[in-house]
Amino acid sequence: MKPGHFSALQVGVAWHRFNGLMDETAQTFVRTSFSSVVRDNWDLAVGLMDTKGRQFAQSSRSVPSFIGTMPQTLAVMLRRYPVATLQPGDVLISNDGYHGTGHLNDITMVRPVFRGDRLIAFMGSVFHTVDIGGAPSVDARDSYEEGLTIPVAKIVRAGEENEDVLAFLTENLRAPEETLGDIRAQFAAYDMGIARLLKILADERIDDLDALVDDILDRSEAAMRRAIHAAPDGSYRDEIMVDAFDEPLTIRCEVLIKGSDLTVDFAGTSAQIAKPINSVMNYTRAYSAYAVKCAFDPVTPNNDGSFRPVTITAPEGCLVNPRRPAPIWARHLSGHYLPPVIFSALAPLMPDRVIADCGSPLWNVYFSGHQPNGQRFVKMFFMNGGHGARPHQDGPACLSFPSNVATVPIEQFENSVPLLITEKALIPDSGGAGKFRGGPAQRVSFKVTSEQPVTMTIRHERVKFPPRGLLGGAPGAPGREYVNGERIPAKVRLDLKPHDLVVFETPGGGGMGPPAERDPAQLQADLKSGLVTEEGAARDYGVQTTGEISGA
Amino acid sequence: MPEPYRVGVDIGGTFTDLVMIDTRSGQLFNEKVLTTPDDPSVGVLEGMTKILGENSVNTDHVRHVIHGTTLVANAIIERRGARVALITTAGFGDILEIGTEWRYDTYDLFMETPNPLVPRHWRYEVPERIGPAGDVLLPLDEDAVAQVARQIADSDVTAVAVSLLHGFRNPVHERRVREILKAEAPDLVVCISSDVMPEIGEYERTSTTICNAYVLPIFGRYLKRLTGGLQRLGIENDLFLMLSDGGTVHETTAADHPIRLVQSGPAGGVQATSVIGELAGEQDVLCFDMGGTTAKACLIDSGEPLRTTEFEVARVYRFKKGSGLPLRIPVIEMIEIGAGGGSIARVDHLGLVEVGPESSSADPGPACYGRGGRQATVTDADLVLGYLAADNFLGGDMPLNVAAAETALREHIAEPLGLSIVEAAWAVHETVNENMAQAATIHALEKAKNISDYAMVCIGGAGPVHAGNIALKLSLPRVVCPPSAGVASALGFLVSPTAFTFVQGGVVALDELDFAQVRAMLDAMESQGRELLTAAGTPPETVRVEHLAAMRYVGQGYDVEAHVDGTILAGDNRVGMRETFERAYQSQFGRLEPEMTVEIVSWRVVVSGPRPTIDLGAARQSGAGGSERKGERQVYFGPETGFLSATVYDRYRVTPGSSFEGPAVFEERESTTIVPPGASARVDAALNLVIDLPAAT
Repeated sequence: MKPGHFSALQVGVAWHRFNGLMDETAQTFVRTSFSSVVRDNWDLAVGLMDTKGRQFAQSSRSVPSFIGTMPQTLAVMLRRYPVATLQPGDVLISNDGYHGTGHLNDITMVRPVFRGDRLIAFMGSVFHTVDIGGAPSVDARDSYEEGLTIPVAKIVRAGEENEDVLAFLTENLRAPEETLGDIRAQFAAYDMGIARLLKILADERIDDLDALVDDILDRSEAAMRRAIHAAPDGSYRDEIMVDAFDEPLTIRCEVLIKGSDLTVDFAGTSAQIAKPINSVMNYTRAYSAYAVKCAFDPVTPNNDGSFRPVTITAPEGCLVNPRRPAPIWARHLSGHYLPPVIFSALAPLMPDRVIADCGSPLWNVYFSGHQPNGQRFVKMFFMNGGHGARPHQDGPACLSFPSNVATVPIEQFENSVPLLITEKALIPDSGGAGKFRGGPAQRVSFKVTSEQPVTMTIRHERVKFPPRGLLGGAPGAPGREYVNGERIPAKVRLDLKPHDLVVFETPGGGGMGPPAERDPAQLQADLKSGLVTEEGAARDYGVQTTGEISGA
Repeated sequence: MPEPYRVGVDIGGTFTDLVMIDTRSGQLFNEKVLTTPDDPSVGVLEGMTKILGENSVNTDHVRHVIHGTTLVANAIIERRGARVALITTAGFGDILEIGTEWRYDTYDLFMETPNPLVPRHWRYEVPERIGPAGDVLLPLDEDAVAQVARQIADSDVTAVAVSLLHGFRNPVHERRVREILKAEAPDLVVCISSDVMPEIGEYERTSTTICNAYVLPIFGRYLKRLTGGLQRLGIENDLFLMLSDGGTVHETTAADHPIRLVQSGPAGGVQATSVIGELAGEQDVLCFDMGGTTAKACLIDSGEPLRTTEFEVARVYRFKKGSGLPLRIPVIEMIEIGAGGGSIARVDHLGLVEVGPESSSADPGPACYGRGGRQATVTDADLVLGYLAADNFLGGDMPLNVAAAETALREHIAEPLGLSIVEAAWAVHETVNENMAQAATIHALEKAKNISDYAMVCIGGAGPVHAGNIALKLSLPRVVCPPSAGVASALGFLVSPTAFTFVQGGVVALDELDFAQVRAMLDAMESQGRELLTAAGTPPETVRVEHLAAMRYVGQGYDVEAHVDGTILAGDNRVGMRETFERAYQSQFGRLEPEMTVEIVSWRVVVSGPRPTIDLGAARQSGAGGSERKGERQVYFGPETGFLSATVYDRYRVTPGSSFEGPAVFEERESTTIVPPGASARVDAALNLVIDLPAAT
């Protein structure tokens, strides 16, 4: 096969196999992992980069935080360990939040791939570890408080685990077995993945992988350019409010379309703050690129080529491009606002391609304490809000967006912690009214069953500013949290006593289009199902019901 | 033996297939009638009448009728099931709708989620609570249950699913709810989760229980019509049904567990390929079933298909995993992809050829059917490449239009990509083959198997057309193409053992395992299974019992299943249990975690009768005689060889022992087998065409 001369059939087959390989490698990791956050939440990504560091394949079931971050991390790694110093069997590691995915809890590892003695690619992965040492909290004032920073290091040298790096991890982490179990699960996944990659290259007779990557990236770029070019040139702006702490913050966004190029700029966004909700540039880039991809080209398998026409900029020192060492642990509390603000900026231009605000940034809760047998536990539980309404459909109930994490089954959760979940139910009238209704939110209640206190940490948004409706749709319900019936702050760490009852009400999805345009039959169906109450119908849709539901 | 005949009946989308065997001579008879969708029993009875009449068989000579049907799956896909109410623990009625909260497509803002089968106004909640260890934390509020029962009785609901938290650990409340419901409303169908699928995971267990209740009434009515009809025909003996895991059960058992029939037809196909493979001397078989809209593949190790309890029915979006309703039932593990003869090919937005999952289905069908289809399909490509002949489709009953196929390929593939029509057809053919080869490879890898160790047995109309080229991609040594591949499912029913699988979940650390308790639980399942089988006429001394445990390291979420030797259980052998787990884990993942402790997640007991044996060699009439050679035609095998002249043979005339060199084409009424260049084919005693492929270079 001549370099640079690949037929559509050859590219199609090889690309298809690369993408399949990434899913397979991710699957191998997940099935042997030791943490719920990897297994149940799929808070991970696996990717392939060529020798130029360009990512050309990524596991399809990845959370968007990892879009395009691996090439950035790899570039930093290669500054420390240039290509000449790499050997077969090496694995590089780092969790530097400013070079990686925006917080210390995400560990990136990369293994060089050799064919004979020739470096031909890099296989990388990122995963979330619930604990990374330190004392991450909503009160952290800088990133040093937030845990251990693993500098770029070789955790495996030519196939031999580096005991020094492992010792640093073991001594700094509260649950090293879980994290090391996950790290080693990735070593096994690399072995499998690399063997398969080499087989694909042999089967498809690909000698010059970089040339094939050129083709893959060019095709992806062309598809994105065509989609952008189809939209009229212009500047589209919007802003969104962030609850933050004492003072609300603003994220301001301009989407500039010129020919087949698109720029997202966050000038005018609030300055960074000494609280852990700053979104480092890599994270800002990832979630902005994600929103652009969803709106313009959701179909192309994820790779760097799609983002060549897309530029993301933000002034240094702002909430979405902070300077080191601003605290970053809960960076999703600002980063998850980027897709909705980009969508609402684009809405007048392409109302059929975007959705109303979802009940996110992602809600979760950490519980830590001791089991009846004295063993320590730290468990995280995810609770998603209602999904934003769509241009032609109601928003589904409780879907994870823009992140994408599955919840743990209640029966599994209760098996692992001394808490009971006493309710997990949809909340009537929580979905924003509109021609198309926002998805309903959920109420999740926890009861402490242990005889010892349990520490709870939460960091929630959309309590002051609920998810916005779009194009005339009404906002969803704001989120709420209670302990024993009393409201508590949305960002707090506190000790729960035995028998305490904690109740969370996630935010509802925003509506789309004016409520007055809602199809009466759909409103009747909502009344029948109970997702809209009679009071809600009167208040939000101006419709009086008599208690008799017609047509039911 | 007074009743020598056994009949297998498979209801497909278009045809109802029947295969009858005379167990004295081993002779097989086939019949095909049109499926009657409004009441499928009509077609079955018509087929029975025909197959018995045409072969002059007395109805009282029929020992078994074994039946598989798409009725259960279709009732769910088409939403034609019962009006079902759901009763849950107070606070959890919406679990069904909230689901996993995960988006199966990260980038598609408009991905569709399936509508729950139980609307919100039919979800009822009752105060009660079982704890994670199975202890009663809050007693069942029986008055509340009675009140719910009266509300349900007053509604137009006909079936109720009961799924309480941790009900799989302790069924006491679910059983009591059922009693109260039955007392208040005796006509209601009631399914409780601890009966349907006692495994951890409230969302999946609830979904499975609802699906069972949803199809139970419609399936029950169907069974009544069918057994009534069979009796009117004079067939007094029992009706058996094929389950999704490849076992057959008496109709009374099937009536209680209809959801277990959701994959019954495909399971029959797998069982048939298993026997065909065995007769051809193959131990490990890749079953490959390619039809009009989808292709399925399944790995069969030493005659036993791989099994799982994870399944998804009624996917609403491009066959995507996650877009259907989750089920936890014992099933033969198959992969299914949207790639069949009717799959539509197009150039996607990246300038690459994409095939499926959209299908032209039977009407209008591929462009070459000449019924108004304008899209280019796999069948059109196969025709242009010479894999199919215009004048031999359905035995020549349906002439194919080559010009229409070429036009479709030119407009949709060749011109946009600047290719010739033949190159375009080859790109479609190769793309669909690659899709299937990759799906099969990934499946094998997930199961820690090496795909190239398997011989392929292909069934389905489009199977033998593509099997050779796919097998070459997979470096398989051999492909076995049985005759009459189209009725394989019905044949499979005849060779499936009577069997039933029991499952009991409950996470216990191996160190804390109470062996006596486990033995008691397994014994109870075993004796229940023996009762079922004995009642179904299986001689007790032939009943086989297997114990399997699903285990994992503590902290993991995925388990590995392994057969547990009876002596380990009898001897309280913890070390033996760990070794059993580690053998399975090592073979799947290639590593162990010696410091980690092990836990048991669930137990499975399989109680089965002997596998009925069929002598397919004797069963098939030998070739019809006369000259098998029909002529030659040009067949395209890729840019390196271009078109090659291939000899065309009449499949019905080949005789055992004969052999042929590729490239060659074997035509029969419902399919065409292609032997690639460099390969050779031979006919075995059972009239299988065995293609030996050249070793991979």
